[in-house]
Amino acid sequence: MSVSEARLLWAVAAPRLWQALITGWLLATLCFALTHALPGDVALRVAAARIGDDRVTAEAAERIRQEEGLGLSVLTQYGTWMMRLAQGDLGRSLVTGTPVLAEITNHGRYTLVLGTVGWLLSYLIALPLGFWAGCWPGGVVDRLSMGFAVVLASLPTFLVGIGLISAFALTLHWLPPAGFKTGAHMVLPALTLALGLAAYSMRIVRNAVVEVRQAFYLTFARIRGHSSVGAFLHHGVRNAAIPIVTFAALQFAYLVDGFVIVETLFNYPGLGDLLVRSLLARDVPVVVGAALLIGWTYALINLAADLACLKLDPRRSMREAA
Amino acid sequence: MMASTKTWTARRPTRMAGILICGLLIVAAWAALTLDPLSQDLMKALEPPSLAHPLGTDHLGRDVLARVVHAAPRSLGIALVCVTGAAGLGIALGLVAAYAGRLADICIMRLCDLLLALPGILLALLLAGFLGGGIIPMLIGIKVALWPQFTRMSRSVALGVLNEPHVEAARLAGFPAHTILLRHVLPPVLRQTVCLASLGTGAAVMSISALGFLGLGLKPPTPEWGSMTSELIPYLADAPVQMAAPCVAIFLTVLTVSVLGEFVLARRTRLPR
Amino acid sequence: MTPSSACALHVADLVIRAPAGTAVVSKVSFALGRGQSLVVIGETGSGKSLIAQALLGLLPAGFSAEGTIRIGDGLPINAGCADALKSLWAREIAFVPQEPSLALDPTAAVGRQLSQNVSPARSAEALAAVDLPSDIFRFHPFRLSGGMAQRVLFATALASEASLVVADEPTKGLDADRVRIAIDLLKRLLRDGRSLFVVTHDPAVAEAFPQGTVVVLHDGVIVEAGPAAQVLAAPTHRYTKTWVEAHPARWPQLGSRKCRMPAVLEVSDLAFAYRGQRPLFERLTFSVSRGSVTAVVGPSGSGKSTLGDVVLGLKQPSSGRVRWGDTLAHEDRRELRRWRQRYQKLHQDPASTFLPDRPLGRQLEDLKEVCSAQGFDARLSLVLDRLKLRKVLLDRFADEISGGEVQRIAIARLLMLQPALIVADEPTSRLDPIVQREVLTLLREIVDQDGLGLMLISHDDALVRAVADTTVRIKCQNVDS
Repeated sequence: MSVSEARLLWAVAAPRLWQALITGWLLATLCFALTHALPGDVALRVAAARIGDDRVTAEAAERIRQEEGLGLSVLTQYGTWMMRLAQGDLGRSLVTGTPVLAEITNHGRYTLVLGTVGWLLSYLIALPLGFWAGCWPGGVVDRLSMGFAVVLASLPTFLVGIGLISAFALTLHWLPPAGFKTGAHMVLPALTLALGLAAYSMRIVRNAVVEVRQAFYLTFARIRGHSSVGAFLHHGVRNAAIPIVTFAALQFAYLVDGFVIVETLFNYPGLGDLLVRSLLARDVPVVVGAALLIGWTYALINLAADLACLKLDPRRSMREAA
Repeated sequence: MMASTKTWTARRPTRMAGILICGLLIVAAWAALTLDPLSQDLMKALEPPSLAHPLGTDHLGRDVLARVVHAAPRSLGIALVCVTGAAGLGIALGLVAAYAGRLADICIMRLCDLLLALPGILLALLLAGFLGGGIIPMLIGIKVALWPQFTRMSRSVALGVLNEPHVEAARLAGFPAHTILLRHVLPPVLRQTVCLASLGTGAAVMSISALGFLGLGLKPPTPEWGSMTSELIPYLADAPVQMAAPCVAIFLTVLTVSVLGEFVLARRTRLPR
Repeated sequence: MTPSSACALHVADLVIRAPAGTAVVSKVSFALGRGQSLVVIGETGSGKSLIAQALLGLLPAGFSAEGTIRIGDGLPINAGCADALKSLWAREIAFVPQEPSLALDPTAAVGRQLSQNVSPARSAEALAAVDLPSDIFRFHPFRLSGGMAQRVLFATALASEASLVVADEPTKGLDADRVRIAIDLLKRLLRDGRSLFVVTHDPAVAEAFPQGTVVVLHDGVIVEAGPAAQVLAAPTHRYTKTWVEAHPARWPQLGSRKCRMPAVLEVSDLAFAYRGQRPLFERLTFSVSRGSVTAVVGPSGSGKSTLGDVVLGLKQPSSGRVRWGDTLAHEDRRELRRWRQRYQKLHQDPASTFLPDRPLGRQLEDLKEVCSAQGFDARLSLVLDRLKLRKVLLDRFADEISGGEVQRIAIARLLMLQPALIVADEPTSRLDPIVQREVLTLLREIVDQDGLGLMLISHDDALVRAVADTTVRIKCQNVDS
């Protein structure tokens, strides 16, 4: 890799790394602030979360206060908190006692699989339909699929999930409704995610295809002697891919909303499910760990999309270098 | 812009939808005035639809239609408050970033980047989780997620417009800065942000119901579409109508708002002669 | 070139109809011999571009064509049969489009775009023939300058085997240097043995091929046709005469008066450079007197427009002084604001200086906010009459009326502000020659009658010679090849 290429790479990667750092800091500080901003005694809450509401005693709370250093000033606690996080010590779950790192990686794996399958599935739906709609704008396929996209985009994720459950699991008994024991259990949650994503990406694909097909450089390629198909393959695909890839990264934001709900609905043991359960149980270390993992993955995905766009669109490399 | 190939606009279905919505609003107004969403009667739990209870009763014997209707001003109202607040702040900051010089621009953009680094409803989730639900996490979380998008969009539109010759001609003629902003810059900014606002309202309604569904939304027994859905899931097989009702309400609201936005965008607006 | 008896292109009774059904081009017939050139001259709206599009089967949606087109030795094709015409692409007919930036795929390297369906040897030859280095192959379109991109388009025509080359407005919007390059490239195509069919509004292109044929198109009808040298030297039709006379070289001398009037603008030792770059111009000194026209010429990229901005106080100079009458423009902000209105600019693209969604009349009335409202309406009426503007135009929007009319409304707006100096930045380069002559004659009249100063920025030497009293020449620092 030449020096200028390396510099270019750094120019693109640096803001994302910076973003990851800031996000991590922001989330950690936010969680800290929220725990300590709540009315009531932190030690009592921790004790309640750990041993159950009804068995909390003053001694237990006091013991926890000593252990966790909750009697010190807020600033000191913040300092120790941030230092521990910076060293990679995420602590232990207040509820189960298992190390947070283990918990989040365990659950994270499931979410990763679900998210990837759902995302790929969404493009399996969106690319053919969007392409077909874009090739014949105003035609039947275009109208139907865009109508379908608008309707789908207005359905909340849990509704899509419930609909799929009642259709495929309860009525047709083709697939299991919830839990996670076999691969078949992943079909409905992944499909729910995929439909939600496809609702938006279908339109993006269609618009990209329409715009590219109207572009004069495609006509000019045919004037130079290309066949229709050849011209589109050589010149259309790359140009159409740029807005599609850019959008693909933004979709991760939707995915976060999506998998939190989908995992809760389907009892799928992923990161979203963990996050919600630990939020409800006030299990702060796990919440922090899960939130950090989500935030950093977001930054990572954005970075990947930026790099992909850099490769696809040579104009960006000129803009970045300038 | 070739409207017919770029955006999907429906003419006749939109008119029909308008009539449908008016009808629904009338029904809703009647229901809001006459039915009570909170009174429980466990003897009448999960009754199918009847004249007394047009959408049946839920697992606690409360009238579902009343609850769906009473939830509307909450969901939609909170969504609209969030979006207008986010839009107002976002557009104003975007204009400032575009007009007021490099330093202001950099500060505002860094702030936006910071807030946009938090994906989706993560912030709202965290706030709701720690604060135990309620209206404040929603307001903050949704606004914070939305206003940087408005700022980005209004800034980029404003920067584009400020480079155009008609702004230069107005400056040369001696028009004051506020006239230029209002007459030259604001109209194209507003036109673009209308679409974002309608999409944002739809997204806000969905976020509110998502939080409700997870149990992190408005505190019970306040009727809210998402929490109603999650409460009734165990009874999906026995009482499908009751569970479908709030879902359909969410769907119709978001659909209407999205279609409205696209419809406004697709029409070219010209001032009257 | 010995004229060949074989025909490269034969068009008979071509009629092109608009979507509404009206014929925008009626009964056009012409023939082009092999190895010869045919230039179709016409203004915007005459239908000349439609003829070029019809030859390629690329008429816009809704347009239909009738008549016969015969290319080379092939069979006559019905003009309405677009598919048959499209099948001739690259084999019989090649196209040089107007805008290189739209014709080239921005994400693909030039080499890939040039050498598909063409052997590498041939594309290398074609590039050499247009004076482009062979490492252009690796470049992407955005790295090419305008001139280089234009050469690439001609190279694609040279690389193909087609004997007929259609060029659509090859010089539109280009400055004098690029026009020369384009004409040179067209001549190379002829030398290579191709037959050339050019559609243009530019007299320079027509004059460049004296041995070819010229067809004059007006409102979709051929008003005159014949050998180029003959038609241009001694036109018979009234329209052709007006068109030929619209060339600035044929204008009567409107300028060159000795001026003893006080100066409205004095520039001394002016220099300007963008941060960290070489200066665009330096040590510039000139003045513009009342009632006179000073022209600023130079090739594109030489900073003429930037000079206009600096003179008007829109940009800060790196050094030197700009004096407006008694005040120094860049020193005192308050004085600047006081005199701001009296130093105005006439833009190159007049339609974009108006708000797109507001009727033009309303925008003129908005000026009441910045000028004295007293007697405003009466003055406006007088100005509109003077510029021969119909009242009905005031109800229209900027994109609904012709370029010449919009430019006159822009001038009306300036006159309402009672300027002391107008900086006109290429005010007519986007207009047709006949309209260009009208607008510049009008400007000259206004300068003489109202006693204001005009700083005319232009790349057209002939125009400047005809209109200006004094000329300032900026040496070019950045060369566009």
